[in-house]
Amino acid sequence: MRQTIASLKKGEKAVIRDFDVEAIPLKLLEMGCLPGNLVEVLQVAPLGDPLYLNINGSHLAIRLETAREIAIDPLTITLQ
Amino acid sequence: MVQEILAYIILAAAIFFLVRKFLWKKKNEKNCGEGDCGCH
Amino acid sequence: MTSTKNINVALIGNPNTGKTSVFNQLTGLNQQVGNYPGITVEKKIGFCKLPYNIKANILDLPGTYSLNASSIDENVVIEMLLNKNDKLYPDVVLVVADVENLKRNLLLFTQIKDLEIPTILVINMADRMGAKGISLDVPYLEAQLKTKIAVISSRKGTGIDELKKLIVAYQSLPTEPCLNASIIDPEYFNRLRKTFPNQLLYKLWLVITQDVNFAQLDRNEIRNSYTRSQIELKKIQQKETIKRYQFINEVLKDGQKINLATAKDFRIQLDRILTHKVWGYAIFFAILFVIFQSIFSWSAVPMDFIDSTFASLSTLAAQHLPAGVLTDLIAQGIIPGIGGIVIFIPQIAFLFLFISMLEESGYMSRVVFLMDKIMRRFGLSGKSVVPLISGTACAIPAIMATRNIENWKERLITILVTPFTTCSARLPVYAIIIALVIPEKRVLGILNLQGLTLMLLYLIGFGTAIVAAYLLNKILKINGKTYFVVEMPGYKLPMFKNVSLNVLEKTKAFVWGAGKIILAISIVLWFLASSGPGNAFHHADQIVAAQHLSEPLSATDFENAVASQKLENSYIGIMGKAIEPAIAPLGYDWKIGIALISSFAAREVFVGTLATIYSVGDTDNENTIKNKMQTEIHPDTGQKVFNFATGISLLLFYAFAMQCASTLAITKKETNSWKWPATQLVLMSGLAYLVALVTYQILK
Repeated sequence: MRQTIASLKKGEKAVIRDFDVEAIPLKLLEMGCLPGNLVEVLQVAPLGDPLYLNINGSHLAIRLETAREIAIDPLTITLQ
Repeated sequence: MVQEILAYIILAAAIFFLVRKFLWKKKNEKNCGEGDCGCH
Repeated sequence: MTSTKNINVALIGNPNTGKTSVFNQLTGLNQQVGNYPGITVEKKIGFCKLPYNIKANILDLPGTYSLNASSIDENVVIEMLLNKNDKLYPDVVLVVADVENLKRNLLLFTQIKDLEIPTILVINMADRMGAKGISLDVPYLEAQLKTKIAVISSRKGTGIDELKKLIVAYQSLPTEPCLNASIIDPEYFNRLRKTFPNQLLYKLWLVITQDVNFAQLDRNEIRNSYTRSQIELKKIQQKETIKRYQFINEVLKDGQKINLATAKDFRIQLDRILTHKVWGYAIFFAILFVIFQSIFSWSAVPMDFIDSTFASLSTLAAQHLPAGVLTDLIAQGIIPGIGGIVIFIPQIAFLFLFISMLEESGYMSRVVFLMDKIMRRFGLSGKSVVPLISGTACAIPAIMATRNIENWKERLITILVTPFTTCSARLPVYAIIIALVIPEKRVLGILNLQGLTLMLLYLIGFGTAIVAAYLLNKILKINGKTYFVVEMPGYKLPMFKNVSLNVLEKTKAFVWGAGKIILAISIVLWFLASSGPGNAFHHADQIVAAQHLSEPLSATDFENAVASQKLENSYIGIMGKAIEPAIAPLGYDWKIGIALISSFAAREVFVGTLATIYSVGDTDNENTIKNKMQTEIHPDTGQKVFNFATGISLLLFYAFAMQCASTLAITKKETNSWKWPATQLVLMSGLAYLVALVTYQILK
């Protein structure tokens, strides 16, 4: 099963790989959610949804169902 | 007399205003009719 | 060289860039908020004096991340920028960017540049550059982005003069685009260019991708040959976005340097506490509690002041204006009508003061984040929190605040259930009825029974809103993709200027929105209450005199008795008697019936109407009204009219009934249809009737 942002835990970082254009609001892309950009999970809301992320420098929150649509490549090296 | 005329004018204005606010169907100048325009 | 025409300046930018601050800095108090025709978006225009005696009209456009509209708000922005003949078409555009989020902010900038309008890049929040370790090579950026840059801090007020000078020199701004976007799909764009050689390529593209009509080119002309499927268009948009970001990254690589070593970040620490599983919610509820306490205690004094002022005004008018119908209308209809509107300003202003500060500080986004999942169970959005809280002051600004909810179904449900929250207007009604039927006792030694009842009513309000939302969510079959995205801005200290202007704006919205309707209805109701058919009305004084032949009344008592007789036989009295059979099962008599009808102007009118009905001329003295009402005996049953059962029945009726014409009006405007306010009226009134009925029958 492919890894998506939804599978990341708090504090984990990853690189965005791809996503279905239909499933993601254009606004998200415009805020920096593009293949190749870095994403970090800053907080997870108490009930697991929404997710507070840092995508390419933009601080924003999205719902779990949207996060499930964005495939990622986990970082093997943790940056300090 | 003057007082009565003025008072009734005010009443008419109030009724006119309410009718226009609630009963007159305003033409929608833009395409968006009900709510979700599908502008996604 | 002086110019007689005003320059049109448009302000555009991402949300949370301080664009509003810039607008406020440029225009001060010279601003007005209106509406674009047919849409619910606000149109904010201000006026600014520039150097060399040049004047400018500044248009503050809604915050947006790009020209690809995802909501009606953003659609308006594009439309105006594409139509050269629009009278607001800008001579120069100011793109406001936040120095901490330059990368993202520049996306919009590059799109605006593609429209070939003179553009100035305003980099705001310069005061934070040091703390974040950011340094900019401005000349380099100006050359690469083909623009002029003003680095300012709207918070500190620096750079504004330089910005004004740049605006004045707008004609010397370069208008070429800074990147060539058409290379993302050369074949498609070349065809487009060949067919419409006179049109700006990017403009065409925008038209195709959204539903926009502009002056020279109608969508239909292009549609047939060039529209691709939505998915294909979206793919091209995605490519466009990627291309733009590539360009921006290139430019910023050399144009911006960030020294992470010197960067400080409070955000992380604050977020940890404020979005914490336990503390996050605890803090939020504590804040809510403080807000409500403050609003109640702070508004008491101004409200009393307003109350007595208007009462005096009314008396003054009656005394000094020549006697007649008009004077009566003014003294008894218009002045109290306006007073009834003004008296709510303190509560509304204070509530929005708090909400405004919470939003300005960035905290509200965290609340939305915390509440979203819970709210969704009820068909609402995390963003519904602000409207629901605002509803405790007044539903009108609350419903307007739903505009930022992306999902139409969530927004609609929020609009429909907000009126259930206990608004300020219900309070006077609750107050007097509680005083009449709830004993002044203490429960468990500390809790005041009357206070407890009030709190209970508040909870019922919220509870019903949530339950109604849940039901609506199940019943309504509306599809809408959930495109929830909320930006989590950095924490900032709220700026006084922004907060106060915001409060002013919201208060005005209430006063004009609700005020006009309340006043109009007050006038109509006054006429209905002060005229009537037949002798019973016209010869009231003779009738009363005849009734008290054996024991003549004092002058005041006589006046009051005549007033009461007149009211009973006025049009509204007749209406009250007519509905009496329908409301009797709820425990109400025709006098309460009259008060119920009058409440449609504004719920608080209930108290004033009761005062008149119970032949008390003087409404200042609450005790007198209370005493009169307490001792009132129903002629048929021989029991007290305001007994416990009736009291509770009335309380619940007011909790659930849709009696606010102004709310119906704004619901109609925001949903663009008659269906919803009509449904609201029928369902809520029906609910109120049933609950009141059952309650009375059980308790009596």
